[in-house]
Amino acid sequence: MTIYAQPRFLPGGDRYMLIEFGNEMNLELNFMAQGLAGAIRENKVGGVIETAPCFASMLVHYEPDDISFADLQTEMQRLIGSLGPSDDIELPSRLFYFPTVYCDPWTKAAIDDYTAKINPEKEYDPDFVARLNGLSGAEQLVRVHSGTEYWVASLGFWPGLPFMMALDPRCVITAPKYNPPRTWTPQGTVGMGGASTAIYPVATPGGYQIFARIPVPIWDPKQRFDVFADSICLFRPGDRVKFVPVSVAEFEEIERQVADGSYTYNVVEYQKFSVAQYKHWVSRLDRTKRF
Amino acid sequence: MIEVIKPGLETSVQDWPGRIGFWNQGFPPSGPMDSWSFRLANVLVGNAPGAAGLECQYLGPTLRFDADAVIAVTGADMAPKLDGVAVPLWESVAVRAGQTLALGPAKLGTRAYIAFSGGIASEPWLGSRSTFHQAGVGGIGGSALKAGHQIPLGAGTGVAGRRVKPEARPPIHGDKRWDVEVCAGPNDDWIDAAGQERFLSADWKLSGKSNRTGFRLEGPEWTFAEKAYNKGPEHGSLPSNIIDHGYPLGAINLAGQTPIILVSDGPSMGGFINPYTVPQAAFWKLGQSRPGDIYHFRLVSVERAQAMAREMKALCTEASII
Amino acid sequence: MATEVRTMTAGNMWKVLVQPGDAVTEGQTLFIMEVMKMEVAHESPAAGTVTAVHVAEGAEGLDADQLVVEIG
Repeated sequence: MTIYAQPRFLPGGDRYMLIEFGNEMNLELNFMAQGLAGAIRENKVGGVIETAPCFASMLVHYEPDDISFADLQTEMQRLIGSLGPSDDIELPSRLFYFPTVYCDPWTKAAIDDYTAKINPEKEYDPDFVARLNGLSGAEQLVRVHSGTEYWVASLGFWPGLPFMMALDPRCVITAPKYNPPRTWTPQGTVGMGGASTAIYPVATPGGYQIFARIPVPIWDPKQRFDVFADSICLFRPGDRVKFVPVSVAEFEEIERQVADGSYTYNVVEYQKFSVAQYKHWVSRLDRTKRF
Repeated sequence: MIEVIKPGLETSVQDWPGRIGFWNQGFPPSGPMDSWSFRLANVLVGNAPGAAGLECQYLGPTLRFDADAVIAVTGADMAPKLDGVAVPLWESVAVRAGQTLALGPAKLGTRAYIAFSGGIASEPWLGSRSTFHQAGVGGIGGSALKAGHQIPLGAGTGVAGRRVKPEARPPIHGDKRWDVEVCAGPNDDWIDAAGQERFLSADWKLSGKSNRTGFRLEGPEWTFAEKAYNKGPEHGSLPSNIIDHGYPLGAINLAGQTPIILVSDGPSMGGFINPYTVPQAAFWKLGQSRPGDIYHFRLVSVERAQAMAREMKALCTEASII
Repeated sequence: MATEVRTMTAGNMWKVLVQPGDAVTEGQTLFIMEVMKMEVAHESPAAGTVTAVHVAEGAEGLDADQLVVEIG
């Protein structure tokens, strides 16, 4: 498992380049990907149509009539070289608090449906994930999963769907994916696959282990709330999320507020995320202790 | 304005190159699967090649025109009729107010395209009129066409009686076998030498469980190189699992042992490898093939694939019109 | 007078809901095709008795306009 000394530049058909920074889940690699995306924007690199950063990589969509794969690689190498160490990176970063029901009835219904129709051997996801990670049970899973802020590393698979990484290393959990995947997942489900946490913006098929649900939209084509002023997707890469455990009754009350438009998003917008300070904090944690 | 009398199986407004610039929020480009036929239809009616038109799939729509228009139908042969009289494909045709255009089931090919002089003037959404109906994005009210929909048209200067030279049209056929170009990568090094050989020599059958989100293929097993097994647990447990990464449009995504070609409405990222990618210039073959058809993949260089796209772009111009 | 019910589109035969000898009403679903993961129901245009069924459930790669059910 490595951070590559030199990134790899891989062709994707005639119009795409995949840049791999490493092959591990490491926030460093995502900071590099987001840093490069920013540098491409600032430098207005000719021939680049758009970029999509991911955990340890970045996809570049380019126009071959304007730039060749080889010249694009040269330009990317130059920009990566000029970025400097990732420690220097500071990114404006909003923080969202979401009320969250853990071990909720709606994801249980989806799991029960899967067990009845597709794979009767499937263990109930919260118990399964707790057991695989050496936790004492679903209750500890809730403490550990909700005990950290999550970093939005990328968006995709479905419009507006965020892929997030735990910022507190004491709260890192991993989970395998469903095989075969579920055919449906309730909107607002919180789940995990590999070492990433995702929120399903709408009901879609999916393969993540699921164990919680939020009543707050992260996707709003009608843009009914202020937070959607610039887009119908709530998130940008570099946002952070904190899941706040609540009861089903509180969930339903917030659902009502969302429906009548009176809900106010809990978002903190004055902070800048400093990679250097983050690394300093991490270095002083006792990683042998879980919540 | 055009009224939708019958919507057909799944007919939608699309433009070319589709919804671009939102890949990092998870929006697929959408757009027509056979952009060769689509662009030529627009050129026939005097539009820019990428103007918004209709993509018809398997079974076409019935449309009533409440104003004069100039249209062209290209791609699959759905036996288009204007007030019951056959309309030629690959030719611009005058339509009078009050006439009804009816397309039936595709007899040859799968997807037909209807261009309207002036283009479709529906509300653009994030810069494009293309429809991604699964997410309620674009098109008419975010969906494929429904009976009763009203489709607004722009003002056009199209002229009837223009034809596409036969040699400039995509060679849509009913042989049920297609040679489909692919480029190696991004993740071809995850497949062992025998697996690469097998992929390029095998017959791959297009499964019925295919649509604009993905074209599922049936064929032999894949075998993997060492790096598919010797990787950190966060990649996932299957050999074809990888840390989630961006998916190129046209990627042949290996979900377990099932290859799925990610097409116009497909996912933008995920946790499976993409050993090969279908280039843009070969998409028309995907768009005009049917479940049960056999694909045989032919390796081409990135440069050759780029040249093919340039050649196709040059064909989708006035130079192909007589 | 025999009524022929044909496939409206190319696709696969997902479900065949009648067999020869069944009485059917106008509008009753006779068979359902699957195309692009969508269900395309085919209804009887008339009341009558099914005299023949030419395509089996699960048949793949059907063309449009293929004869499936005859009603007498």
